[in-house]
Amino acid sequence: MSALKRVQQWATFARIWHIYDATWQNPFDSAQLLKKYLMGLYKPIYHPMNDCGDHVILINSADIALPGNEWQKRVYFHHTGYPGGASWTLAWDLHTKDPTMIMRKAVYNGMDGNLQRRYTMQRLHIFPDANVPNELLGNVSNQIRQIRPVPKRLDHYSEEEVQTAPKVIDYPKDYVVR
Amino acid sequence: MTEERNLCDLSFLKMNMLPLKLRPLLKALTSNIEIRNIALSSVLGIKEIKQVQNDKELVIYGEIQPSPREPYLLKNEDHCCPICASGLDVKHTDVLILSQFVRSDGCMLPKRITGLCKSQQKRMGSLVTMAQKAGLMPNLTPAWSKKDPKRRYRWKKFNTYFDESTIKC
Ligand SMILES: [Zn+2]
Repeated sequence: MSALKRVQQWATFARIWHIYDATWQNPFDSAQLLKKYLMGLYKPIYHPMNDCGDHVILINSADIALPGNEWQKRVYFHHTGYPGGASWTLAWDLHTKDPTMIMRKAVYNGMDGNLQRRYTMQRLHIFPDANVPNELLGNVSNQIRQIRPVPKRLDHYSEEEVQTAPKVIDYPKDYVVR
Repeated sequence: MTEERNLCDLSFLKMNMLPLKLRPLLKALTSNIEIRNIALSSVLGIKEIKQVQNDKELVIYGEIQPSPREPYLLKNEDHCCPICASGLDVKHTDVLILSQFVRSDGCMLPKRITGLCKSQQKRMGSLVTMAQKAGLMPNLTPAWSKKDPKRRYRWKKFNTYFDESTIKC
């Protein structure tokens, strides 16, 4: 086996570490994207019996975004198993209690339920902010592109940018600007 | 320097310091007083006072100042409203455009000021609401606002985005 082939062999079966910034991203769309990397679906050697999934470090899970009024309308159900043990938690309530839970549940529920699912989930490392331990960060060799563009707030533009931006309307001559 | 003097300023009389019976009386007194603020420097910024000295006469006149928006204004040769003429597909994240339609407290300007057509005025109003709910214009909010979207109440503190196709009009 030549040196090139040998390295190719290693590279094929090595687990790759990806990083994904969840700022302003929809957790359910992101889950479908991350699933591909976690299960190794994008690899030509993929087979359900072939353990070829990658690791994904997900940062800023506290800053995920939900569309419309889903923070108030989405409900998470839990049952303790005892009579009367059912509970319903709204998405914003769950996110205040644990800012990683919505993301974790989104990825977990985005995958088919089989014996591999829990091991696949162990390869997903979720952090509510950008503080990732260095021993994990040292492994990272790829960044996954975000799905949605991160909007820029008006107060984060400089004064000059706001002033010199193209203007659509002008005030009437005698209008008092408030 | 701005000096504003209100001749009948009764605000030093604190309402809660008065006995209950006197409060309506004070309110009736103060509400009838016509208040006129006098400013020595430019507050409104519409006109600039200029003095011209001819031989024997001094002409003092107010000149209308050019708007700071004028050099950056898009040209509108069409007969339709500025948004229709520009052909822009405005999203709720385009805060540089949407902030042109609101006052400093975040209120939408009326149609006679913006000069938009009826449907665009309504659409811009919805987009401004979306941008405000998403916390993208926190500096254009009422004075009592906390200004930081992360300090809002309950679900409002979390990031939210909107779909423009849900606007009906
Ligand atoms: Zn129009």
